[in-house]
Amino acid sequence: MQREGYVPPTAGGGGATRPGGYGDNPRQTAMKYLCADCGKSVTINKGDPIRCKECGFRILYKERTKRMVQFEAR
Amino acid sequence: MTNTQDHETLPDAPEYDAENAGDAEFDDDDEPLDLTRENNAKITMLGSATDDDSCASFQFENEDHTLGNALRWIIMKNPQVEFCGYSIPHPSEAKMNMRIQTYGEITAKDALIKGLADLRDLCDVVTDKFVAEKERFTAEKRR
Amino acid sequence: MAPTQEELERRRIVRVEEERVSHVTSTDFPGHYPGEDHAWDLDEFRKKFKIQIHKANELDYEFDLIGVDASVANAFRRILIAEVPTLAIETVFVHNNTSIVQDEVLAQRLGLVPLRGDKKGFQHLRWRKKNPEEPAAEATDFNTVVMTLKVACTRNHAVPATETDPSKLYFNSSVYARDIKFAPQGRQPQWFAGAGEIRAVNPDILLAKLRPGQEIDLEMHCVLGIGQDHAKFSPVATASYRLLPSIKIKQPITGEDAEKFVGCFPAGVAEVQTDRKTGEKKAVVVNPRKDTVSREVLRHDEFKGKVELGRVRDHFIFSVESTGMYNSDELFLQAVQILKKKCIDFQEKLLES
Repeated sequence: MQREGYVPPTAGGGGATRPGGYGDNPRQTAMKYLCADCGKSVTINKGDPIRCKECGFRILYKERTKRMVQFEAR
Repeated sequence: MTNTQDHETLPDAPEYDAENAGDAEFDDDDEPLDLTRENNAKITMLGSATDDDSCASFQFENEDHTLGNALRWIIMKNPQVEFCGYSIPHPSEAKMNMRIQTYGEITAKDALIKGLADLRDLCDVVTDKFVAEKERFTAEKRR
Repeated sequence: MAPTQEELERRRIVRVEEERVSHVTSTDFPGHYPGEDHAWDLDEFRKKFKIQIHKANELDYEFDLIGVDASVANAFRRILIAEVPTLAIETVFVHNNTSIVQDEVLAQRLGLVPLRGDKKGFQHLRWRKKNPEEPAAEATDFNTVVMTLKVACTRNHAVPATETDPSKLYFNSSVYARDIKFAPQGRQPQWFAGAGEIRAVNPDILLAKLRPGQEIDLEMHCVLGIGQDHAKFSPVATASYRLLPSIKIKQPITGEDAEKFVGCFPAGVAEVQTDRKTGEKKAVVVNPRKDTVSREVLRHDEFKGKVELGRVRDHFIFSVESTGMYNSDELFLQAVQILKKKCIDFQEKLLES
């Protein structure tokens, strides 16, 4: 049971296989999170308060990796 | 087992090369093939101390009680056979050993071949009877 | 010297006593009884062997095999469970899964979903070899079936605020087996056309539950396999046999004992008959097939020595319940063919060497 570790975003976004990943634009500091309360997607820039822009909830989830993961159905 | 993969979707199925596959039947969509067509059977005769071929042990690979017991029974039905028994030496090895001793009129290998042929005949009878009974049953039900 | 009919009947019964069973092993071998043959005889077998179908629903068959040894009946049963090939989900490629069901758990659940499709189409499919060195290990249209599952849960704004039922509050709050969609590759659209497309046998299997914002997006590869490798490939829910029970009344059981005797068996096994002339009550066995061989009669002293329980050694009551890829009768015929194939293959190999 071995899973390849998370590869942090690098210049050029080498690891990402689908558009919209973290590594798309190295200069962009905005990150997308999910609000734990209303489920809306929240884009937060560096220095912004950690807060949902819709409902003001202060708990945000990180999005799941967009990488494909293979499993055996056993 | 888990691991990340770089390709996003499947590669397209390659064009089927009927000529190189040496399988002309495959292209004929009207006549589907038997799944279990390949012969992957493996059998070896285990070493014997003497030249006496009226007794022998055989090792069947990838076989278990399914074939072992049925074959043992039908070989024991042969009056020329003095003894027939099978064992699975180790549960984690997919192997089945069969011991055959005859009274000497035929060789152990002959007895095994006859056993396999008899079991095959038995299967044909079972198929025939089942098909016939199914026809009878459906006809009766329709009435 | 030929044995008497009575003797032959006795040999057919495996005796069930109060605390033990006796006469268990078959004795129909040459050399067991002096002066009797018992050698394998195909014509004799054809004459004596019988099959009787009792129940024939598509996925649920019950039939009797009469006049065959336990080793052969057991071979058929074992092949049905472990050696008839079926299609099942083998690999799951998860693009996204934000549901509460973990990827590996979901993958395992998906693997167990029984699939069906055009039966003739399945015959085009081949084994996909597991060893990556072999050429047949590559996924192609004739060894791999691709399925997809893409479901996202959203809120339904059209319902009143008082609504509490998640199935009305949200769209796709539950993911079912019917959401698994066939993605035909290569020539598969011809093999599995129209109503023959590959799908789950039971569309209502609940796979996962979702809440708004959660999503499942995955691709699945299905391959052929056998039950020996993994239970998900087993084509039957159950394939089993039992021996026909036999109840012999050796001395008449009359009067009140008769009522008690009947009460010792499940309904329909025995009944009390009243003699029209004398008006005497007498117990008779009507349908031993319904008996469970609970041995209740043997616990009562009044029946001591009057009744003999047993099972018929060569009468197998087979029950085959299919999971849905093939009908039960097709499965049994396939099992017989697989046993035959084994014989042919080994015979071939022996004649070669």
